[in-house]
Amino acid sequence: MIKNKKGALEFSFAWIFAIIAGLFIIFLAIYGVIKFINLENASNNAQTAKDIGVLTNPLESSFEALKRTMMTTPVETRIYTTCSNSTLFGEQEIRTSQKVYNKWSEEGVDVSFQNKYLFSKDPVEGKNFYLFSEQFEVPFKVADLIYLTSTDDKYCFLNSPSDVEDEIKALKGTEDSTNENFFLETNSVDCPDGSIDVCFKRGVRNCPIEVYTTSNYVVKDGKRMYYEGNALMYAAIFSNKEDYECQLDRLMGRAEQLYKIYAEKSRFVFQKTGCDSEMEADLIVMGNMMKNFQGSDSLSQIYSLADDVNKENENAECRLW
Amino acid sequence: MVIINKKSGQMKIQQMSFMIIAVFLFLAMVGMMVVTIKMSDLKNSATALEEQNAMLLVTKLANSPEFSCGDVYGTAKTDCIDEDKVMTLKANIDRYSNFWGVSSIEILRIYPPKNPLAKDIECTSTNYPKCNLITVMSGSSDFDKSNYVALCRKERYNDEFVNTCEIARLIVGYKKVQ
Repeated sequence: MIKNKKGALEFSFAWIFAIIAGLFIIFLAIYGVIKFINLENASNNAQTAKDIGVLTNPLESSFEALKRTMMTTPVETRIYTTCSNSTLFGEQEIRTSQKVYNKWSEEGVDVSFQNKYLFSKDPVEGKNFYLFSEQFEVPFKVADLIYLTSTDDKYCFLNSPSDVEDEIKALKGTEDSTNENFFLETNSVDCPDGSIDVCFKRGVRNCPIEVYTTSNYVVKDGKRMYYEGNALMYAAIFSNKEDYECQLDRLMGRAEQLYKIYAEKSRFVFQKTGCDSEMEADLIVMGNMMKNFQGSDSLSQIYSLADDVNKENENAECRLW
Repeated sequence: MVIINKKSGQMKIQQMSFMIIAVFLFLAMVGMMVVTIKMSDLKNSATALEEQNAMLLVTKLANSPEFSCGDVYGTAKTDCIDEDKVMTLKANIDRYSNFWGVSSIEILRIYPPKNPLAKDIECTSTNYPKCNLITVMSGSSDFDKSNYVALCRKERYNDEFVNTCEIARLIVGYKKVQ
């Protein structure tokens, strides 16, 4: 009996070796699978981010003005948009995170674009997203600004002026109301539950976004963002102060280069044909002004000078733009 | 007897070690194959995205502010490239090296047609506009996408300034992701 019991407890070296080696292989396999899944998630996130950037190309053709496009992702997605203005044209960085098994995956790598200007909540979250664009001009077209909103974020525009109302109506078109995220109301009680109110009239209590159309600024999170024209007004409404100022700086950088190109074009056309637009000096001044851009509070001054340059261009014998 | 038993045990351990190493190597090889296939898929997807980018870019590039005619040649036109502006852009293209995310951009004038036997003539500030190819951005590319555009410029004709518009092909080149 004693002999039998002792035998039952005995493990040969071969068994112990097999168990340890087996555990090691299983551990390595599980580790490899986890790493592989993470890699797959990262690659999906990077691909989605690049996809978003590529899919915004048609919005920049100016054909699709006042029309919005719906973008649907296979799973719930968070889109992070970051602006960087450290280089000449700066960069629009996009990265995503997707909900896998009810858990948000790690944020993917940044995919950057030098020629895109995206304005959205950071991060914007959902499965269905609306994209629309408007031209940014000082006074010639500099870029198409792209606005990204989730159908989960309901924006209620309260007492909006007629031009804004017309634009939003045109954007909404005859779309399916289940995905509607823009509402035009005159009273905040008529706004959907949980909506983000955008107030165009003073005196609305606890309004998260206030638009002052006479002084041309938007107040969001207690911070003031100045704008000129509806394109920048929407940009201020949908993004935050930091991103808005950074994107504006990038836009001015691109405008500066365009002013340089128009100044050189003026000289080139004069040398070739003898047609003088007589604007070269003013264009150089404008270019320098763009270079020294400090913030949105100087926009009104820039726009007033840009208007003068535009008048000059309209009256020129050979227009530059 | 004892010696024989010891040898048999050593043999078993050796067999098991070889088996474990074989299983391990097999799993590692399968893993490497999966990773290689996945990487190749990823490269293909990246190249497909580059292609899609080039395809969509070529349709919008003519309307971007660096290329578009604006209101210079009458009313605003779509897919119209301002040749005078592009010539000045070409001179400053080093600033735009990564701007559009493609490796090359060319504009080839196709109408009026050139002599089919003659070589394409690159436009420079000295021979312009008696040329038919503007290499806005030069770089090696594996594939390209193109779109037909109007190519307009200002000219002097009998002491008057006139608009001359011709037909061209805008070619955008992109690289295969390695």
